[in-house]
Amino acid sequence: MREKIIIGLAIFAAGLLAWNMNTIFTGLPDELNQGAIYRIIYFHVPANILGMLGFGLGMFLSIGYLVTKDLRYDALAASVTEVALVYASIGLATGSIWARIIWGVWWAWDVRLTSWLVCWLIFGGYLMLRRAVDEPNQRARFAAVVSVLGSVNAYISYKSIEWWNTQHPQPVLSIRNGGGMAAGMEAPIWWNLLALACFSTILVMVRMRQESFAREIDTLRRMAHAQ
Amino acid sequence: MLLGLGAAWLIMFIYVILITLRERKLRKELDRVRRMVEHPQK
Repeated sequence: MREKIIIGLAIFAAGLLAWNMNTIFTGLPDELNQGAIYRIIYFHVPANILGMLGFGLGMFLSIGYLVTKDLRYDALAASVTEVALVYASIGLATGSIWARIIWGVWWAWDVRLTSWLVCWLIFGGYLMLRRAVDEPNQRARFAAVVSVLGSVNAYISYKSIEWWNTQHPQPVLSIRNGGGMAAGMEAPIWWNLLALACFSTILVMVRMRQESFAREIDTLRRMAHAQ
Repeated sequence: MLLGLGAAWLIMFIYVILITLRERKLRKELDRVRRMVEHPQK
């Protein structure tokens, strides 16, 4: 059943992405001031939204573990956070390339960029911490605390473009009262978000299966040592 | 622009490769530990 869901989601996401890429490259005009480079936004924004949502979801799952002590919450939190970190990496890389073309520099130490980089480092540390601690309950507890702290930072990063004047552009999406894009130019961002969300669901499902393998290996090793 | 899209896909591609290798390693390890439990003398 899981395999069928994965294959179905992959076909749907690939089809949606192909149709959307066609719209982005052949159906939309260049932006007046930025030219063709503005199209990076169609990957940069969805990737960062999924990164932030993933970190937030990971935090709630980590709290779920702290409350219930059920390791399945921890496994799901680890899977979601790892995939979110991949999307955050895509967001940082695409943003940096856009900045090089538009600002003339690869990086600027403004609040949005710096807080997001700090967030990326915290969750990179989260994954390293998980590798460093062997005892499952201790690992889950430590990781949950880091996840909560990192997610607070992710929220600060999300709001930073409203709270402070940043070099990073102000909100452009209509749901954040940005209104910086024509409706026809904004829609592909949401379609790409849906396609990438489907890919991230697939990745989380695969990661969950791996967590289940790892738990089984751990249990069998204990049995082998007890024999 | 193509550099940006290329970077995005490269990161995703590398992650998919890593996750696939990890899956293979875990399956091998699971088989090994299962055999170890089923035949403890070996």
